[in-house]
Amino acid sequence: MKQIATNIRKNILHIANLSGSPHIGSALSCTDILTTLYFKILNLDDYENRDLFILSKAHSAMTLYATLHEKGLLSKDDLEGYYQNGGTLPAHTDRLTNPYIEISAGSLGHGLPIASGMAHALKLKGSERKVYVLMGDGESQEGSVWEAAMLAPKLELNNLTVFIDRNNLQGYARADEILSYEPIDKKFEAFNWEVFRIDGHDYKAILDAVNTKTNKPKMIICDTTKGKGVSFMEDELIWHYYIVTDEIKQKAILELEGSSDEK
Amino acid sequence: MRNSVANEIKKIAKVDETLFVIAGDAGLGVWDDFKDSKQFINPGVNEQLDIGFGAGLSLMGHKVIYYNIAPFVIMRPYEFVRNDICYQELPMILIGTGSGITYAPAGVTHYVVEDIALASTMPNLDIFSPADPVEAIECFKYAYKSQKPSYIRIAKNGEEIIHKDDIDITKPIFINKTNSKHILIVHGSIVDEVSKILDFVDLNIVTMPMLTSEFDWSSFLEDFDKIFVLEEHFINGGFGSMLRDKVDNKIYKFGIKNEYIHKIGNRDYLREHYGIDGHTIGEKIKDIING
Repeated sequence: MKQIATNIRKNILHIANLSGSPHIGSALSCTDILTTLYFKILNLDDYENRDLFILSKAHSAMTLYATLHEKGLLSKDDLEGYYQNGGTLPAHTDRLTNPYIEISAGSLGHGLPIASGMAHALKLKGSERKVYVLMGDGESQEGSVWEAAMLAPKLELNNLTVFIDRNNLQGYARADEILSYEPIDKKFEAFNWEVFRIDGHDYKAILDAVNTKTNKPKMIICDTTKGKGVSFMEDELIWHYYIVTDEIKQKAILELEGSSDEK
Repeated sequence: MRNSVANEIKKIAKVDETLFVIAGDAGLGVWDDFKDSKQFINPGVNEQLDIGFGAGLSLMGHKVIYYNIAPFVIMRPYEFVRNDICYQELPMILIGTGSGITYAPAGVTHYVVEDIALASTMPNLDIFSPADPVEAIECFKYAYKSQKPSYIRIAKNGEEIIHKDDIDITKPIFINKTNSKHILIVHGSIVDEVSKILDFVDLNIVTMPMLTSEFDWSSFLEDFDKIFVLEEHFINGGFGSMLRDKVDNKIYKFGIKNEYIHKIGNRDYLREHYGIDGHTIGEKIKDIING
């Protein structure tokens, strides 16, 4: 898993550098969540009956693209066409670009309402398919998130699992510096969700939370580090928007390879 | 119109299990005999969720209808309609009640006098503005079969039936045909002012239920000298403006002045205030025709 996550992080750095696009910090913070999902959790064998993953914090689309590539579901050409003139993949997802990109997203707070509708549709059909959502901590400030937060437990959507990438750095500051964010877990508990609070870089903790049986919709608050895996990016606000130059890429990849070798 | 469309929906729901209705805590009495169905939900007062939730259902193969008072269908959740429904190319049907100033004197928050302007910014959204229950049902049937997203703006209940024969909502429908060289195009419930207009001036009158139809207006209007459009909508950004973009003819637009409405009164009072009542429109058209 560690090696898979390293490969994904290297490809994130690769396309961030090729394109000159921002959001590298957010992309690296959720890499371990997507790695666990795509390599240990999601059932994608039968396309018509696949589990659904909704990337609601779609500014981390680089992570989804690199993960799909690692999974063999997105070509190298498509990956390198990210954010390019005449390319294939936008900075925020467009569902018409790849059969495994489930929604068009980018504006925050849209994923949970859509995923709730999908989960409800699956329950109506008596399907065993599952719906997974990844939101950002800044994103979970949107009113539409709380609208859906009230509905999902009412509909007993136990086929819906939501992750919050709690990297504790949104665009311009830490969430708690901007508004009264914490205790975010208690807030969802009060809305009648099954809530877990875990280390979002611990594969086993992610798996254990996902595998816990419950009749409620599940909210997994993942405490993560923005820029995870590249020491000089970790927990640094500037890497929300800064660009990965050739030099930065080289330095970051050397560090990732060194870190991977240690394991 | 409201009950006619709701009854049509309930009829189709019996044979189409994919049909699903989301009512945004609106339509008191309209859904009483349907609200316990698995094909219905009232998620509460949360318009963004209503649209997103509907998009999720639609992505899973449901034909989704979202029903609410019109300001809460287009204006309040505009960006959700744009991103979740139109950008994603989902064939969802949005039904807004209380078109124009139907809900006078509820106040401007409950009017939709700019909904056509907003809806027409979304490239693949079909817009319908039926004038009577017959048109409303035909608009719904069209939207139900369509693979595109649709927005149907309707008034409320009790509108007079004006069509006795079969109609095609993609084309102008004559409700007064004469030898006059002039024509009035009207849509929505303000059609009930037409008889008063004819007291002043004789001219051809058509209703146009599907505002985004690909109908060839240029050929149709060749036969007419002066062309008038009357609508219960802001004068800028409504169907008159849409038509001006499509044809070279001079279009005379009659609608509500683009300003926030602070006047209090019922619908007839506000129509008179803004000069879109049949009496005023009849006189204005007569003056224009007579030079």
